Order: sequence, then structure tokens, then C-alpha cells
Amino acid sequence: MKRFACLLALCWLAACAPPFDPDERLSFDAPTRAQITGVPLIQQEDFFCGPTSIAMVMQWAGADITQEEVAALAFSPGAGGTYLADMIGSSRRLGQLAVEIDNFDQLLTEVTAGHPVIVFQNLGFSVVPVWHYGVVTGYDFARDEVYLNSGQQDQMVMPFAVFERTWRRGDYWGLVVLPPDQLPASVDEAEVLSAAAALERVAQYEAAETLYETGAAKWPENWLWQFGLGNARYAQGDLRGARQALRRARSIDPTIPEVRANLAFVESEIAG
Amino acid sequence: MGFLNLSKKGIAIALSAQMVLATQAVTMAQAEMLGTDAAISKYTALANRNALMDEMQRDEVRAEIEALGVDPAEAEARLAALSDAEIATMLTQMENDSAGADIVGTLFTIFVILLVTDLLCFTRFFNFTRCVR
Repeated sequence: MKRFACLLALCWLAACAPPFDPDERLSFDAPTRAQITGVPLIQQEDFFCGPTSIAMVMQWAGADITQEEVAALAFSPGAGGTYLADMIGSSRRLGQLAVEIDNFDQLLTEVTAGHPVIVFQNLGFSVVPVWHYGVVTGYDFARDEVYLNSGQQDQMVMPFAVFERTWRRGDYWGLVVLPPDQLPASVDEAEVLSAAAALERVAQYEAAETLYETGAAKWPENWLWQFGLGNARYAQGDLRGARQALRRARSIDPTIPEVRANLAFVESEIAG
Repeated sequence: MGFLNLSKKGIAIALSAQMVLATQAVTMAQAEMLGTDAAISKYTALANRNALMDEMQRDEVRAEIEALGVDPAEAEARLAALSDAEIATMLTQMENDSAGADIVGTLFTIFVILLVTDLLCFTRFFNFTRCVR
């Protein structure tokens, strides 16, 4: 498990990496520039770059939340930082869809789709790591710039090569945090399904319900979305809603024992 | 994971597998709702595995494997011995190596053949296959 201290260091001056070549590094034809507007710049408190990053992304999506509120769910005082797992977990406990990404293709796919991405960077050296979380809000190939909201009042601008190096040292870890009525652009169906089930696990049933509905609209042929929807509604005491979803799941695939079992269970409760 | 790209391909054979499962339909009274998590892991793994086994049944794949001097039945047995996690890892690598394209048709065929030759120590394409020479 990695930890970091959220210090800001400018140790990358000894740059000697080759320039970033989008044709070579990307396997899709990304637009030459993208910029997401409306992500607030929040000055982080000491060591709060993780919670601040989540707060910035959630405020961008319209939520009313502060870095302190996120920190209460994410920050580890003993470590002086926020663990990767707690970045994911706290986002989910706040009712958000949270999925990890791990490469440039995914990062730029999300940014061009208008989704800010939290990235884990080492701003120091491999031997003297300075771990940091920031939010990528845009890029411009022609100007060789990546734009980040990085816990300071001013936007941070990094040349691609510098950003690449700092992100590579963080193993290209990135996190897409979205409200549950939106879907990530670079993550496949199975991972979104798992993220929805994870919302059930942290008892965010309403968010889970919304995400299952969103997924069902995009992937209507997969019964698992209706199955999850039925379970999330049942957990909120909505028996008739649960029955409706499970019946839909059954009509998509009549052979699944789990669907039939849960439908029978809900029907027996309705019959009371 | 390959669920998204392979699901259509997998559905046909998954259905037949599920028919078998369904014959043991859960009729006993249950104490609680069956969880979404477990169903997702089970059926995602099943769809992935079925897509692979399905591909093995195709004539051009069998012909290719036989041309390598390998008995298709043995190739199938090796494939069937892979764990769910190994299949998921492999499908992820396929997606990464196919440069973002959907894994369909010829490309998938090539990957499956590479997998078989990997398992038989002819090639070293996939990270998880271990071949001691």
C-alpha cells in the first residue's frame, strides 16, 4: 500500500525524458486539446490532497461537500495521507461511481468525454517519493501541456513528459469519480457493474439503484443490471419496484436461478 | 475484462450452460436475497470462459491448431484448466494488445491460437503462462 505526504516539490527540473508523442503513446486518435470547465480550484489543507481532489470532482458534479467531510472518510492521520483504497472507498461511501483507470488511453478518453480524472503522482524521485493526488482537467498536445487542479489556488500546468514521469511513478493510477447517473467512457461494462455492486456494499442503495438504471439503459441485453436494480430496490424496502426489475431480468434471461430465486423471495414477501 | 466485448459471442453458449444450471433451479426456501456481487463474478467469469471455449469449436481454429501438430482435444483440456482469474487476466491483456479495438473475429481467433500455443510452450505471448524449458 502506498502512502504519500501531499507536499509539493518541484524536483522535476532535471528533465531528460523524450517528449510525449501522442501517435506513439495512444492507441486512439485523441483530439488535439480538451478542457473541462467548472472544476473548482480548492486550496488544500496540509496533507489533504486526496480529500481535496475528491471534493473538487464532486463539487464540479454539483455536490455540496468540503475537503474536511471527505477527509473524515478517507484520510489516515497516522499515515499523514490518504490510501488509494480509501480514495475509492470514500467516493463510494459518498454515493459516487468510482472506477480505477491505469493508462493514458483511458485518461484522455475520460478527459475528452468531459470527465475530470484524479491521478496519483510522485512529484519527487523514486528514492525520495513525494506522493500527491491531483485532478486532470485538460490537455493540449500543440502546447505540450497537461492541466491539473492540484490543491493550490492556481491551475497547475505540466509539460506532457513531466506529467508522464510523475504519473508513471504512481503506476498510472487514476480514479474516475462520477455521479451515478453518468457512465465512465473508458471502462468496460463488467467494471461498472462491480462499482455498482460496491455501492450496495456500502449501503448507498439509492446511488446503486441509479447506477443500475443508468447501466440498464446502456446495456439493455444484460440481465445483471436489472438483477442489481431489484436487489438495490429491495434493500430500500421497495418491494414492488424490486419485483418489477427482477421480472425484467427474468424476461431478458429466463434461465438464471439467482433471478428466479430473488423474484420468488420478493413475491412471497409481497404476498406476506 | 472481456465481458463487454465478448458478451454477445458468449451469450449463445452461455445460455446452453445456464440451461444446465437452471435445471437445478433454486426451489428451496431461502433466508435472504442472493447478492449482486456473487452473481456478477459468477456470470462474468462464465461468459468469458464460454467465449473462449466457443472460439475453440470453430473450424479454422481447430485447423490451425491441428496444423501445429496439436490435438484439439488436448488444447481444449488445457484451456479448460485455466482459472477464472487467469482467463480474466488474459482477456485484459488481449484488450490492451489489440490497441483498444474490440476483440472480434480474426483478432480473437489469433489470440486464442496464441493462448493454446502458449500453454503448449510454443510461444510466450501471455504474461501469466509459465513455460519452463
